[in-house]
Amino acid sequence: MIVEGTYPLPGTPDVIWNLLMDPEVLVKAMPGTKELVRTAPDRYEGVMRIGIGPITAAEFELVILLTDMKEPHSYAMQIDGKGRAGFTRGTASVELSPDGAGSMMHYSADLQVGGKIAAVGQRLLDSVSKLMTRQGLEALNRELQSRLGGAAV
Amino acid sequence: MKPAPFVYYCPASLEEALELLAEHEEAKPLAGGQSLIPAMNFRLAAPAALVDLNRIAALAGDTGMENGGLRLGAMTRHSTLEKSRLVAERAPLLAETMPFIAHPQIRSRGTVGGSLAHADPAAELPAVMVALQATLVLQSAKAERRMPAEQFFSGLFATALEPGELLTAIELPALPARAGCAFEELARRHGDYALVGVAAVLSLDSRGRCEQARIVLLSVGDGPTLAAGAAAALAGLEPSAEAIRGAAEHAAATDIDPPSDIHASAAYRRQLARVLTRRALIRAAELARTASGIAER
Repeated sequence: MIVEGTYPLPGTPDVIWNLLMDPEVLVKAMPGTKELVRTAPDRYEGVMRIGIGPITAAEFELVILLTDMKEPHSYAMQIDGKGRAGFTRGTASVELSPDGAGSMMHYSADLQVGGKIAAVGQRLLDSVSKLMTRQGLEALNRELQSRLGGAAV
Repeated sequence: MKPAPFVYYCPASLEEALELLAEHEEAKPLAGGQSLIPAMNFRLAAPAALVDLNRIAALAGDTGMENGGLRLGAMTRHSTLEKSRLVAERAPLLAETMPFIAHPQIRSRGTVGGSLAHADPAAELPAVMVALQATLVLQSAKAERRMPAEQFFSGLFATALEPGELLTAIELPALPARAGCAFEELARRHGDYALVGVAAVLSLDSRGRCEQARIVLLSVGDGPTLAAGAAAALAGLEPSAEAIRGAAEHAAATDIDPPSDIHASAAYRRQLARVLTRRALIRAAELARTASGIAER
């Protein structure tokens, strides 16, 4: 499953870069994430709970490793999630480029989903990933707006 | 394949059910259980409590309304609708759609309200209700509200139902005098989730021109998708083969943004939407002409 897109964000790449490294910001950008802890400069661990329609009890333990960090332009992620309902793993990349007063974020992810959740929900993976991406980006945008607004005061 | 433990309530009246749902926010209403129970058995859903609606007689059955419409209790089984003479007479689109819903075993248990409240993007009934401009009756312990089906579906498995609120009835208005309806769907095997489906209602004015078209597709997005561009393309035109081809093209090319999955790519879904919309409109137009007493040209 491939998720890809471009999304405008307020703030310069430098500002956004720092916020994106903050687990408290990241937790909001990943829908269903209950907790996320930075256990090393390039490693985050957390718990994600997916709730869509009939599926309400799918909980995943999540490990995210950051690689190829080129501050403030781009980085890649290795994502590994395991739970009773199945697993997800894959890679993702984020690129930031200046765009007027703000930035343009280009993101792409290639994720495999397997186990029970894939067997039952295969036909929904595309729609669910689109939904979660949209929710995540909107939440990230809101968080950036409020933080940048706060910083300006 | 056993569910996690849950508390089971079996109210005998609607009032009791609504009180239970208001009291226990974590409780889920149990209708036919054809989606909820498998999800629980897979342990993908683990509601703390179920409020079983199956003993509430007032929620089941179809009745004619004075205005020529039809009122369906939310707990009316698919199989009841499938065999109902009243449904065949007053809502032929609904009658035509019933055999496409899963298998006879599932239809003997599944309910119209359950299917609508579940809001599966591949389900037939949400699309049919939007096409027929149904009004949904939502009740809670405190209040009742009524809502057009079009507003009820808000996303992937998401509806306007608030916690503690229950879909209790569906009201279908009478069809216009010169109207025809058709349902088309393609699935890999009969009874599988549809790759694409379409429900169409077409009404003609006294001169045989398209007065209104309601074209709703399923399994092409997060929920029932109204093809507004296709309907606009047809409005005011005689529903000729050419006009219908143009409308179907609109539906496939601009009205939908279908997903890709292992069963069908987005491009294939668009092609299916084009073909099925055309077939549905051709049949609906034919029926509308017959109803108007216009001979086919």
